[in-house]
Amino acid sequence: MTAEVNSYYPDYATETPKQFQFSPYADNGGSVVAIAGDDFVIIGADSRLSTGFAIYTRDQNKLFSLSKSTVLGCSGCWCDALTLTRILSARMQMYEQEHNKVMATPAVAQMLSTMLYYKRFFPYYVSNILAGLDTDGKGCVYSYDPIGHCEKATYKAGGSAGALLQPLLDNQIGLKNMQNVTPAPLTLEKALALLKDVFISAAERDIYTGDKVNINIITKDGIKEDTFELRKD
Amino acid sequence: MFLTRSEYDRGVNTFSPEGRLFQVEYAIEAIKLGSTAIGICTSEGVVLAVEKRITSTLMESTTIEKIVEIDKHIGCAVSGLMADSRTMIDRARMECQNHWFVYNERMTVESCAQAVSNLAIQFGDSDDDGAAMSRPFGVAILLAGIDENGPQLFHMDPSGTFVEFDAKAIGSGSEGAQQSLQEMYHRSMTLTEATTAALTILKQVMEEKLNSTNVEVMTMTPDKLFHMFTKDQVEEALKKVTSLEHTKGDVSTHSQSEVVSTDS
Repeated sequence: MTAEVNSYYPDYATETPKQFQFSPYADNGGSVVAIAGDDFVIIGADSRLSTGFAIYTRDQNKLFSLSKSTVLGCSGCWCDALTLTRILSARMQMYEQEHNKVMATPAVAQMLSTMLYYKRFFPYYVSNILAGLDTDGKGCVYSYDPIGHCEKATYKAGGSAGALLQPLLDNQIGLKNMQNVTPAPLTLEKALALLKDVFISAAERDIYTGDKVNINIITKDGIKEDTFELRKD
Repeated sequence: MFLTRSEYDRGVNTFSPEGRLFQVEYAIEAIKLGSTAIGICTSEGVVLAVEKRITSTLMESTTIEKIVEIDKHIGCAVSGLMADSRTMIDRARMECQNHWFVYNERMTVESCAQAVSNLAIQFGDSDDDGAAMSRPFGVAILLAGIDENGPQLFHMDPSGTFVEFDAKAIGSGSEGAQQSLQEMYHRSMTLTEATTAALTILKQVMEEKLNSTNVEVMTMTPDKLFHMFTKDQVEEALKKVTSLEHTKGDVSTHSQSEVVSTDS
């Protein structure tokens, strides 16, 4: 049969069809973890920006403070994260001038969801985790998929090591599949220690996570910044 | 008077040499022909009361809607050209729903007023997608709502200017009604007192006799939010008005001066 098909073609070499493809996305890695308490919320992101086996920088802050009580952590396609956060901060300012008040965290959460969905068919390739205090001063965490699905939680891991870290948080904070444990309110010290621990674990296994963790501690007094060193290989 | 206004009172795009926009001023005059509406804001909530002009006994009075819901937490009373008001109400409703869609929160009353104002001042504009609106809206609006800043009452005129009020009257009887509101209003008013006051004043300024078919009453409270009075509830509220009238008839000058003294 092959001989039959070939007989339609000339016996000299012909040009085969060539495919060209433009890939608009890059994966620059990075992980984000946020943990909420009763009157605080902490969010941390590693500072490694990479592509494949190469590292662009070891010192890239992936946390964006949108207001005095709201911080967004972005990882994934870095150029998309930059654009998204610039539009977000513009929208924050427009809201403030239009409505004479600072946008509350739940409002930011909903707006981010609609903004992402409006690019449903050419999405921002970003894994977002939003942390902040709600109007009652309670800590809250919102996590997103790239097309705007939004879920409220008390703790969440996202980004390249998200799948690695979430079960660890489920166990340590959610106390999932544990016997003889009494749930106690999470303290800031415990949350910070856990956040550092999970990032150490992520840096062991995920090549896109490492170098350093930038941490934002959000309380009613404002945002406090902290850093924590990770392994750099 | 008409000599000085000649030529400059036609277009909405031209200031007169004295710096006035006559069409806007005429629109403000137009609402003085409208039915009277009264709004009172108390710490317990806001009440709106509007007269309905039943021009014929064959008219179905329930189809005259002068108080409408914008959102669960914002209601509004209108006076002037009803057809114009529908456009503004549509915009207000749309803006409130859009705000909920984008931010998952209730729009503040002031923001809602701002949104309607943006529409009200679009007369004279023309752009790619539409011709200019030929004239300003001949409508005055009372926006009654509750948000994180508590109960609020906003008034807007055809120029798009909006101001917050404790108590405000619009429409044909507004001058007399505003005077009476000035005398009757005090900050510690309950919502029931405010409802009775609004109806009492409405009774004073209305040409027809006040009854449950020619008046609309709405309250905006933190727990029930937008609540339109049923016919029975209106009748109940009207009973308090008549009983108040009786006591007033006995000691009219005395009670009047008492109210004034507590006010100051």
